[in-house]
Amino acid sequence: MTDTDPVDRLLATARGEPVDEPFRVTGVMMQYYHVCKRELWFESRDLEIDRENPTVVRGTRVDDTAYSDKRENLNLGMISLDLLDDGRVVEVKPSSTLTEPAEMQLSYYLWYLDRVADIERDGVLAHPRERSREPVELTDERAEEVEMAIRGIHNIVSQSSPPPAEEKPFCDSCAYHDFCWC
Amino acid sequence: MDRNYHVFSDGRLERSDDTLRLVPEDGDDKKYIPIENAEAFFLHGQIDFNTRLMSFLNDRTVALHVFGWEDYYSGSVMPKRGQTSGKTVVNQVRAYEDSQHRRQLAAAIVRGSIHNMRTNAVYYNGRDHDLDDVIEDLEAAAARVDEELPVDELLGTEATAKKAYYRSFNEILPREFQLTQREYNPPPNEINSLISFGNSLVYANCVSAIRATALDPTISYLHEPGERRYSLSLDLADLFKPVLADRVLFRLVNRNQISETDFETELGSCLLNESGRKTYTKEFEETLERTVEHPALNRKVSYQYLMRLEAYKLKKHLLTGEEYDPFQRWW
Repeated sequence: MTDTDPVDRLLATARGEPVDEPFRVTGVMMQYYHVCKRELWFESRDLEIDRENPTVVRGTRVDDTAYSDKRENLNLGMISLDLLDDGRVVEVKPSSTLTEPAEMQLSYYLWYLDRVADIERDGVLAHPRERSREPVELTDERAEEVEMAIRGIHNIVSQSSPPPAEEKPFCDSCAYHDFCWC
Repeated sequence: MDRNYHVFSDGRLERSDDTLRLVPEDGDDKKYIPIENAEAFFLHGQIDFNTRLMSFLNDRTVALHVFGWEDYYSGSVMPKRGQTSGKTVVNQVRAYEDSQHRRQLAAAIVRGSIHNMRTNAVYYNGRDHDLDDVIEDLEAAAARVDEELPVDELLGTEATAKKAYYRSFNEILPREFQLTQREYNPPPNEINSLISFGNSLVYANCVSAIRATALDPTISYLHEPGERRYSLSLDLADLFKPVLADRVLFRLVNRNQISETDFETELGSCLLNESGRKTYTKEFEETLERTVEHPALNRKVSYQYLMRLEAYKLKKHLLTGEEYDPFQRWW
């Protein structure tokens, strides 16, 4: 195990520099880190989620149908983001519950664009079903939070077993629910 | 949970627009089958189908379990995996290669299996059958289960337990259905044929349950991998046979819903005929749909879903190292 800062390892991996142990963080991992660390660990091990789970179906559908006329997809190595035609990065969520994790996911995209591709952008968190949008900006404070979260993610996914299950109000709708608790 | 459909007649299964149609060989009495809530088809008759049907079933992740000559399980046509997980298979193999880990899993399965046999014996003991000595033998066998034992001894312990357990059949069932000895290939009498048929249905349902995870069905712990087609399914089926197959058998025979007219006897073999298989599968499917309050999930789950959960539990154990606690009937 190398002692280098996970943030530096992630950046080196993203820039395609030679890295002993590449480290990747996807947007969804950043989100899970703020929702449920056990879910994050499962995700890091390619555990398939239950695609028939109603919440998953709903999320996919909202993402596929909203803004279909004005979006283009930008695939940048470990992240894949949607751009609105005014150049802002948009993250579409079915509802405004769990806002903080979604904000962190979007902040991570902005941070990644800035640090890896040297592109400064603003972000929009969109809840098309609620007809609401919320601007998200990458402040220094936000950037600091993102980097802390990257280190936290690294710490979780390097464990050989997941953090123990913890009952949360949204466990019932999680696609890993039965797997996690059975 | 989705349901199973059993097809006993000969004919053709085909896609018809966005649903399924069964066209019997001997007439034009076509039947439409809703695909939306189908888990698997069990084909007991001679069925023709084409690739158009296969793609359709594949899209809807519906399996076909095929029963061949004399209704032996002959194989499954499974939908292609939605997702595969190399890590899962690697961990499955590692656990098999690590003899201590393998013994631990094999012992857990035997422990669960004996527990579930014992639950049946206790149930009927409380219903005017004297099964004290069977229960005692099962407890003695359970006490011998030890993770330090080699796998073949664990298998032997399960076999001993099963022998004791099968003695209870004679006590529970009427005189015409005495089980002098467990035999198959082919089953020589009614009771053996009922046990075989029920076990093959449990087995096929476990195949479906395993397929819903990324577990490799051929890598197993109690049974030797590749011993038969899907040996992991044999492992899991051992836990569920007493709960599913045996209880259905006791119920049907004791209520006289199955009698000697439901069998075809030929030289040295005795098998359920079509009406017998229909009666059996109807009761079996109703049992799969029964539900029970699950203490950890905090909701009711069907008996069928318990098999899916068992596959999840095993996979979770292999990937996380969290303890695998075998299914033991708790109600």
